[in-house]
Amino acid sequence: MDGARRNSEAPRHVRDFWHRHTDQLIALIFVAPALAYVGYFAFYPALDTIVLSFQTPIHPFTTFNYEYNVGSGLYTWIGNTLWLTAGALALQFGLALGIASILSRPFRGRSIFATIAILPIGIATVVAGFTFSQIFPGTGSGYANSILEFFGFGPYYWLNSTSGALAAVVIADSWKNTALVVIILVAGYASIPQSLYQAAAIDGAGPLRRFRYVTLPGLRSFIVIALLIRGAQEVNIFQMAYIMISSYPQLLTVQIYVLYETAGGLYLASAVASVLLGIVAVFIVLVLVIGGRR
Amino acid sequence: MIDPRPPAATHVKRRFTWSNIGLYATVVVLSIALLFPIYLIFLIAFVPDKYTLFSGRPPLIPPTLTLANLQTGLTLSTTPFIPSMLLSLEIAFMVGGIAIGLGIPTAYGLSRLRPTVAYGLTTILFVVNMLPSITIAIPITVPFIKAGLYGSPIAIALTQELLALPITTFLLVGAFQALPRDLESQARVDGANRMRALYGNLVPLVRPALVAAFLLSWMLSWDESTFALILYNPANPTLPVEIFLAFTGRGNPDIAVAFSFIATVPVIILTIFLQKYLKGEDLAVGVRG
Repeated sequence: MDGARRNSEAPRHVRDFWHRHTDQLIALIFVAPALAYVGYFAFYPALDTIVLSFQTPIHPFTTFNYEYNVGSGLYTWIGNTLWLTAGALALQFGLALGIASILSRPFRGRSIFATIAILPIGIATVVAGFTFSQIFPGTGSGYANSILEFFGFGPYYWLNSTSGALAAVVIADSWKNTALVVIILVAGYASIPQSLYQAAAIDGAGPLRRFRYVTLPGLRSFIVIALLIRGAQEVNIFQMAYIMISSYPQLLTVQIYVLYETAGGLYLASAVASVLLGIVAVFIVLVLVIGGRR
Repeated sequence: MIDPRPPAATHVKRRFTWSNIGLYATVVVLSIALLFPIYLIFLIAFVPDKYTLFSGRPPLIPPTLTLANLQTGLTLSTTPFIPSMLLSLEIAFMVGGIAIGLGIPTAYGLSRLRPTVAYGLTTILFVVNMLPSITIAIPITVPFIKAGLYGSPIAIALTQELLALPITTFLLVGAFQALPRDLESQARVDGANRMRALYGNLVPLVRPALVAAFLLSWMLSWDESTFALILYNPANPTLPVEIFLAFTGRGNPDIAVAFSFIATVPVIILTIFLQKYLKGEDLAVGVRG
């Protein structure tokens, strides 16, 4: 092996480069298959979507797909998707901050509560969507109304308004995914030195002021990253929304699926998919810029 | 040696104080809210459907119990349960296997690269995790159709792997970095080449992380339905796709009930087992920068 390398015809500067960086180059070879895999199965299709969005079977380049979708209400779909994302982020952030602050202190039963808090991650999205469609059905029945009636309210027709339907999906999605934010924030809590709390307590800061001046600044970057990651995943919400509310109100992902399922809808679906990709790209860039700054 | 950490501010108060009562009240309320949908999965599975799916005001306490829903769901000849479950199992094991097979060299390479290069490559995997599945799934059908693989288990596994590979890699990078560097040099001095050092000496030491990564990938695939929905073979969809189709119009809701229950039981067990491996650092690679 070594002899073969010495006798090889490779130009001298190539050999020198290899000898100087052998370790790093071999490490790169180990990573190469994974890079080839994600290149072909993730980045190439993503670019292909953008190319397809500017084509039709008879036109090599056209903006028809975008114009057609704008005519069918693309801006409304974007608006609904962004409202859903904002609502889900607000609810998940509030819940996760509470749960993470509970989990960051010792109490009896803590590990049981940690397990309960993380369980929804394991439930399949379609199962969660199916279950929540029984809690918030299209009619005036369902488990949410059973509970409301128990307390003497209701019935409420959840899916009869855009905001009600979006709220139902926000609650379902937050049930399933708040734990992901909790996990990140718990790591954030663990990164705050206890000595800061002790110093603040000695200076006379009460629990609220310690939270405001020690916890929040310490968690800030974790909060920002968790919200951006969840935000990118939130605009991708698909099956849960489709199972619970179908096409009312219309979301970007559901419209992509509906268009794709329609005969000849591939190019129209690609245009909406490209818009979705653009919104996700904004989240990705923000994560990298903010994450990289630290 | 003196413990560099500050004295633990964590001694547990055994006395009940007002703030403790507030804490426990919050914990109980949150726990009920978190467990309620899981309770419903069991309730809907074992209570006659006139009290659940078809009730105007479904009761929260089971009036009677039955196995009829599961029997109906599992024996309907239009949507055979066993082939779907076998397909889901087959794909989930493929995704877990590929995650390990591809994850080990990737994680090893990343743990040996210079931090700046490793950070750049990690970022690429991180971006893959955030790309919308449905945006990728639609164009990827074209090469699969050309290759005659459309609807095949391997096609679905290769797309679902996009979700499993990044988290597997992040988990294993952490495990490799935690090993002392000397171990590898020692093996190499003893004459093992890099492959032998990796698979003979390092991999056995990160076995717990490998098991966790395999199970996590298995679970991601078992639950996944976007790629499986776009790429499925109508003659035999995966379990989540059966649930999706059964409930969005093409089937019988009893199927959704029975399949949901059966799909849920293994992941509840897995989640309890895996919870200590779900770390914020792995989910939020960006934070470490």
